[in-house]
Amino acid sequence: MMTVAAPTTQKSEKFIVPIGPQHPALKEPGHFEFAVDGEIVTDATVRLGYVHRGIEKGTESRNWAQNLYLLERICGICSHTHAFAYVLGVEQLAEVEAPPRARAIRMVVAELERVHSHFLWLGVGAHEAGFDTLFMYSWRDRETVMDLLESLTGNRVNYSACVLGGVKFDINGEQTKGILEGLDFLEKRTHHYLNVIQQDALFLQRTRGVGVMTQQQARQLGVVGPTARASGVARDLRIDAPGQHYNDFNVNMILETDGDLAARFVVRIRDLFESYRIIREILSNMPEGDLVVKRMPRKIKAGETISRVEAPRGEAFYYIKSNGSEMPERIKVRTPTLCNMASVLTLTVGQHLADVPMILVGIDPCFSCNDRSVTVTQPSGQREHWTWEQVRRFGIEYYQRQGGQ
Amino acid sequence: MDVRLETAVSLTKPWATETAEPAPYRLDVSLERENLLPVISALFAAEWGYLSAITGVDLGTAVGVVEVLYHFCEGPCIVTLRLRVPYDDAQIDSVCSIIPSASFFERELSEMLGITIVGTPNADRLFLPDDWPLGVYPLRKEYVMQG
Amino acid sequence: MTLNVTQEWQGVLDKIKNWARINSPWAIHYNSGSCNGCDIEILATLTPRYDVERFGIKLQGSPRHADVLICTGPVTRQSRDRLLRIYEQMPDPKFVIAVGTCAISGGVFQGCYNVIGHIDEVIPVNMYIPGCPPRPEAIIDGVVKLLTSLQAVPESATA
Repeated sequence: MMTVAAPTTQKSEKFIVPIGPQHPALKEPGHFEFAVDGEIVTDATVRLGYVHRGIEKGTESRNWAQNLYLLERICGICSHTHAFAYVLGVEQLAEVEAPPRARAIRMVVAELERVHSHFLWLGVGAHEAGFDTLFMYSWRDRETVMDLLESLTGNRVNYSACVLGGVKFDINGEQTKGILEGLDFLEKRTHHYLNVIQQDALFLQRTRGVGVMTQQQARQLGVVGPTARASGVARDLRIDAPGQHYNDFNVNMILETDGDLAARFVVRIRDLFESYRIIREILSNMPEGDLVVKRMPRKIKAGETISRVEAPRGEAFYYIKSNGSEMPERIKVRTPTLCNMASVLTLTVGQHLADVPMILVGIDPCFSCNDRSVTVTQPSGQREHWTWEQVRRFGIEYYQRQGGQ
Repeated sequence: MDVRLETAVSLTKPWATETAEPAPYRLDVSLERENLLPVISALFAAEWGYLSAITGVDLGTAVGVVEVLYHFCEGPCIVTLRLRVPYDDAQIDSVCSIIPSASFFERELSEMLGITIVGTPNADRLFLPDDWPLGVYPLRKEYVMQG
Repeated sequence: MTLNVTQEWQGVLDKIKNWARINSPWAIHYNSGSCNGCDIEILATLTPRYDVERFGIKLQGSPRHADVLICTGPVTRQSRDRLLRIYEQMPDPKFVIAVGTCAISGGVFQGCYNVIGHIDEVIPVNMYIPGCPPRPEAIIDGVVKLLTSLQAVPESATA
């Protein structure tokens, strides 16, 4: 009997580490379960929906203008992206074209949002690696771009820049000057951060060669945005599908080929320089004219359309169907994180549990709130609660031990 | 027509019941349900774009059909495969054997519109809460929100 | 905590505890369905420009160590039990701050099928901070106002 029992005890070495579930945005909140064999992750699953509010159904009982404000609140980090994609779609359906000046202002806000989002992500990524100094520095500098957004729009998070057929505010000379000064400061800081993430030996230990996704894998998994570009997949909607907006201004593709976490950091930082350049170019070639079209219909012509916008995290996909009334028939939103989430599940298999927080953060899944609870379930039925903080700590200490050897 | 869309037209031609170009850079291909897997295999084998989203649209109780749209994107081009799934036989083949990352899209489609995905590796709920009543599908038109 | 001491000593102990709590409240943050906007602003209050830790306020992970629960967002069906569990795990006396319009009234998400309602339909709330999202200064102001109100109230009334 004893000999029979031996393999089962060995089997019970493997246990499940659930991470989650609290998470902010529409589709991003996730409860992950990682099966581990010792230190190595052998399987990963995800359960979303803790913050699922039913926005897609909600849009069907609100009119076209009200939906703008509902959809903007899908995500507090890329609020402008959602409003942007929605107005693009509705304008296509209504066969209305926003005036050139409005289009330029939309792009300025979109790029400023990208800057704030990447700074935010740099801080969160550094925090997960145990590099809190970088976290505090990047968030201090992020306040510069928050000030710019606030001076333009009056709000730090939900800008309400877009309205159907145009934008809500103008950019005057004083604001332009403020933006340019802010960008000069940020550019200087960004050079510093690029140095840090490429040269700090301890940081590189956590990022170089971790969570590698080859170009082949990236194509197969259908990842989008900086996560794809870090694996050498040239996928940026600002270049691929410029539409009437980015057509006027040239955007360069930022590519890295290593496909590891370090590449994902470098891609986003280099993305920042591109954003600074675009904002400067738009501001110095600002078209004159109206901010809103003369007449935007209350009822939108029946039909369906697809609009896509390059969010800081990748492609945001909107499918909009109208039945000719004041309310939409169906709005489908696919956020970039849903595309990239599958890559996390694949990438973590075979990696150390200690690397899991960093790989999760590597796709930038809006992981911004600090406290998440984690339950370690053992086959015996014992449950041990871990907070996200404990998992992070585990990762940091694991690497300290590794370094000490 | 963009050269990439022309490729897509020729790839999907053997199975397409109807092909339309509703807007520049867009191609709509209507299919019979049973031809979904061959079409997706053909697109995948030719490395034509990536599966960007799966949309389910309820056409209303009067029609009794859910339309399922598979959106493939390549650069500015979007190919949409359109399938009609009747309420009384609401099932569709899983594409996960060809595109593993479609699992999330299929789970969402299944819980929101009540379509059984045949052969999907994981049919658990993704977004709806654990205590959500069985057989209630929020994105069906017959579901009316309270309050 | 009640020790078996005279009325007079109990009063002194209460004063010390209240003093300690007001000078260094520990907070836990829970998002029960928010869009992330308020959560980022709460995180921003920790960073150098606002630096809420200079008031002794510490944001940390475990509900068992927390005096203050900072809630954001409307309450969704799936997160209702979580919110209740976190609230019940916190030691007495505990205080709840609802941050943002959605936490106060449900905001734009009113009527969505997976939203039950606002925070005070599930747990009692001591302080409301309006805004979509509130600025970090407003959040700090809310916390300070809550602390000031504690100074005036004897502990037996809040427990």
